[in-house]
Amino acid sequence: MPERRVTVASQVGLHARPAALFVRAAGRAGVAVTIAKAGSSPIDARSLLAVMSLDVRRGDEVILVAEGNGADAALDELATLLATDLDATHA
Amino acid sequence: MAVHVSAPLSGTAMGLVDVPDPVFSAAMVGPGVAIQPERAPGTVVAPVAGRLVKLRPHALVVLADGGRGVLVHLGIDTVRLDGEGFTLLASEGDTVEMGQPLVRWNPADVEARGFSPVCPVVALDAATGAIGNLATGPIDAGAPLFTWN
Repeated sequence: MPERRVTVASQVGLHARPAALFVRAAGRAGVAVTIAKAGSSPIDARSLLAVMSLDVRRGDEVILVAEGNGADAALDELATLLATDLDATHA
Repeated sequence: MAVHVSAPLSGTAMGLVDVPDPVFSAAMVGPGVAIQPERAPGTVVAPVAGRLVKLRPHALVVLADGGRGVLVHLGIDTVRLDGEGFTLLASEGDTVEMGQPLVRWNPADVEARGFSPVCPVVALDAATGAIGNLATGPIDAGAPLFTWN
């Protein structure tokens, strides 16, 4: 299965705005996507509750996995999102 | 089974649409109700019974029966206060009762530091139509805020 490893850039990690933007993008991806931290179980990237509970901090590496048609494109988009500081435009 | 979500603090209940942050006003995290808090030192209490799966100074999530997570965010962009002015009264992972004190804070201080102290209370991951009986106007901590069907 296609996967991407990406370091989370947002200052607050995957919480609040960055988490909401990520979960919304995952929901639009058209394929099932999971997210995990090294050593943790993969969880549904479309669940804000699950993503917030994963407690990803800035600088943590996460592993995105998807399957099916369009999986690679979806992972590229989500990986780009995570590698961007999503708080930067909102000082 | 419906989850009855109560007000985590006293103030004035208002629509999420008036919260000055698109994450909440556009219901990106889920539907809910915001509370404009009284500008005085106050205690934030658990809006439902369940497990306190997340406790940061500026935000908390209680996971109720049926896996439903209720988010309480204390002010907007208050992650930037780095916990200053917030006193935690419980620990992440605790099982809490509805109405149990969780955080002490002072909305007047938050406002004086340039942040909106408005508190969105959100049904995480819920569809917009999944909540009803939304409260509006003056509300006391512990009073019914909305029902999550």
